[in-house]
Amino acid sequence: MIPLIIGITLAAFLLLKSLPGEPALNLVGVRASAEQIKQIRSELGDDKSVLIQYLGYIKLLSHGDLGRSYYTGRVVLKDILAKFPNTVMLTITAMMIAAIPGILLGFFSISIAQKKENLLSRLIDWITLGSLSIPVFWSGIILMMIFGLTLKILPPSGTGGIRYIILPAITLAIPAMSSLARITRTIVSDILKKPFIITAKAKGLKESRIAVTHVLRNAMIPIVTVIGLDFGSYLNGSVITETIFGWDGIGRFTMEAIIMRDYPVIMGCVMLGAVVNSTVNLITDIVYNLLDPRVRQDV
Amino acid sequence: MRLNTNPNSLDPALITNVASASITAKIFNGLVRLNDNLQICPDIASSWEISEDGLHYIFYLNKGVKFSTGREVTAQDFKYSFERVLAKETRSPNTWVFEKVKEINVINDYCLEITLKKPFSPFLSMLTMTTAYVVPKEEIVRLGRDFSLNPIGTGPFVLKEWLPFSRLVLEANPHYFMSPPKAKGIYYKVIPEDLTAITEFELGKIDIITLSGQSYAMFNKNPERKPFIHKLKGIDTYYLGLNCSRFPFDNPEIRGAVAMAIDRKKILETFYNGRGRIATGPVPEQLSKWHAPIEIKFDPITAKKIISSISPNGINVTMYLSSDQEIVDIAEIIQSYLKTAGINVTLRQLEWTAFEDAVNKGEAEMFWLSWWADYPDAENFLFPLFHSSNFGSGGNRTRYSNIIVDKLIENGQDSIDESTKDIYYQQAETIIAKESPWVFFWHKNDYIIEQPWIKDMQEASIYTIDKGAKVYSVLKEQRH
Repeated sequence: MIPLIIGITLAAFLLLKSLPGEPALNLVGVRASAEQIKQIRSELGDDKSVLIQYLGYIKLLSHGDLGRSYYTGRVVLKDILAKFPNTVMLTITAMMIAAIPGILLGFFSISIAQKKENLLSRLIDWITLGSLSIPVFWSGIILMMIFGLTLKILPPSGTGGIRYIILPAITLAIPAMSSLARITRTIVSDILKKPFIITAKAKGLKESRIAVTHVLRNAMIPIVTVIGLDFGSYLNGSVITETIFGWDGIGRFTMEAIIMRDYPVIMGCVMLGAVVNSTVNLITDIVYNLLDPRVRQDV
Repeated sequence: MRLNTNPNSLDPALITNVASASITAKIFNGLVRLNDNLQICPDIASSWEISEDGLHYIFYLNKGVKFSTGREVTAQDFKYSFERVLAKETRSPNTWVFEKVKEINVINDYCLEITLKKPFSPFLSMLTMTTAYVVPKEEIVRLGRDFSLNPIGTGPFVLKEWLPFSRLVLEANPHYFMSPPKAKGIYYKVIPEDLTAITEFELGKIDIITLSGQSYAMFNKNPERKPFIHKLKGIDTYYLGLNCSRFPFDNPEIRGAVAMAIDRKKILETFYNGRGRIATGPVPEQLSKWHAPIEIKFDPITAKKIISSISPNGINVTMYLSSDQEIVDIAEIIQSYLKTAGINVTLRQLEWTAFEDAVNKGEAEMFWLSWWADYPDAENFLFPLFHSSNFGSGGNRTRYSNIIVDKLIENGQDSIDESTKDIYYQQAETIIAKESPWVFFWHKNDYIIEQPWIKDMQEASIYTIDKGAKVYSVLKEQRH
């Protein structure tokens, strides 16, 4: 974990410092003397070499401190801990909406396609491809217009309970569900061509038994991978969705920090991302382990 | 109310943006304030005297003015607050407000004397700025940097809750020394996305929003909404800056040709939907008591002639701009006008601070910017922007330098008499307009829409004017 953190912070630090931008200018406003800018730069440590700045950051980090925001003076760790639960809540809700229906849709589409090449299966294909290609800023706004403005049944923006979470969660769930449906369909159609399925059929097993013990079990690994990837990416914050719906999560927080060149906040969010992604990967690995005996043997 | 961005600080000494400043104005007070007509009127000081030589200012404070903690404000607090702005460790970006102050004396608890190094006509007007608000020393000592998150002042409202990027809630201050605010509180919701804000407004969940160009057109067509749109003539100037310190715009003739080559009226009327007034000089009409300079007329043929006589093969320049879509659109329009005149413009879009840095350092030949009033004095649009001592980050980003203009502005600052001051400023503005370090575009109009149940909203053209004490909302059960 420690080499990972050092690697990630170093990469992020170097990238940030190579970006154009001068954080001190956001602090002094539009009427300031050159000396004032210089003073602020030196207080931010921005006038020192990148290496010294980085070592300073690592030292801070070793005390479990992420520093304070350049602009609001707030403690970065405290803000991250306040906003992260909102993002977690949004992610879990979105994945709950996406996972089961997505997988079922994939199965359904293959089962009808198998019988004969029909219109319904094509339609599902087009819909999933279409909704995968719709950008969230469009679907989010359309959802807000329909359910917020026209039907007036859900609040268009804000952070709060179940009523507030539905629209952003659906917005995020649409592409996740479609990609799951498509992946499921592809995997399952591959598996169905495998010899062991033919054997199972020849043995005279019931179709439902084949579907659950042979097909689903084998299909789960790639499906879990996709779910894990989406989970990890949503947990790092969904900038656009959170912005449209005014959801007070990590994505918006990171975005504002990037716009303002608020280095301590950006670094804090990058660290959070690193921890989240490695945790999600670890969990995905554990799930693989449970699903597939071969993985267990490898270990 | 909607905020489109998170305020960065509520410490009066550290304010750099309008969102923070307009909230700070509701939590704090200064010695003097502005009324709706931009006149300076009493705030915590009930009256004041200025000595004939313009060096001594004596302020008599109201008795019984209290911080929201209940402690009474004395002259000592003002001395502390002003000196705090100047102290290096405060990191205030606005030290220039008190630059001309020689000393501050507390005569007694309710009487404060400020002595200036030399007469300085905009001083009283500068004291209306957030930088000159009074703060309680004991709270600053107790909270340190966190004062900016937990501000304590004397204003009509106190901060109840601030959840960054989400909401900010103000509550009426029971200790407020003037008539209490009519609203129980003000709830600010941070909504970055325009469309989301409009949806919230349509649903009646937000009471007041500022309209962008498109949403203005939409609401203006709706007869039920139209009467509730208010036009606010902004005290600002939008301009195309021409860097006078380097080729090609070190040549005033080329600068004049650029001004002639662009049909600003047409851009204002078509692209900008008429949301502004054409500018002919830097000073907005609210701050000038004289006739605005004569407009440079759109004359592409003369412009082309001038350019080709100086440089028959045309001129290549780079225009710097920040990456805001509206600005990018305007830049492209300017680019096409200048092409006709023989100037090839390359556009360079940069992130805001990188843009500002390049402009401050004089790397940009041409750039798009605007300047907004902090206090209602023509000096605010002359000294920082055109005096040669303010090159770069100080405000004079075109690096315009003219000894006569410098002298005229200084004379204006030194003048105790209003009408002589105006004469100096008018002369300075006339020369500046003639030499075109800027192509003056427009003074912007803002459009604000309110819900029918909102009463007595103050339309403030400078962010410190609205203390929020007058506006109120009719109770839900009494709305028709």
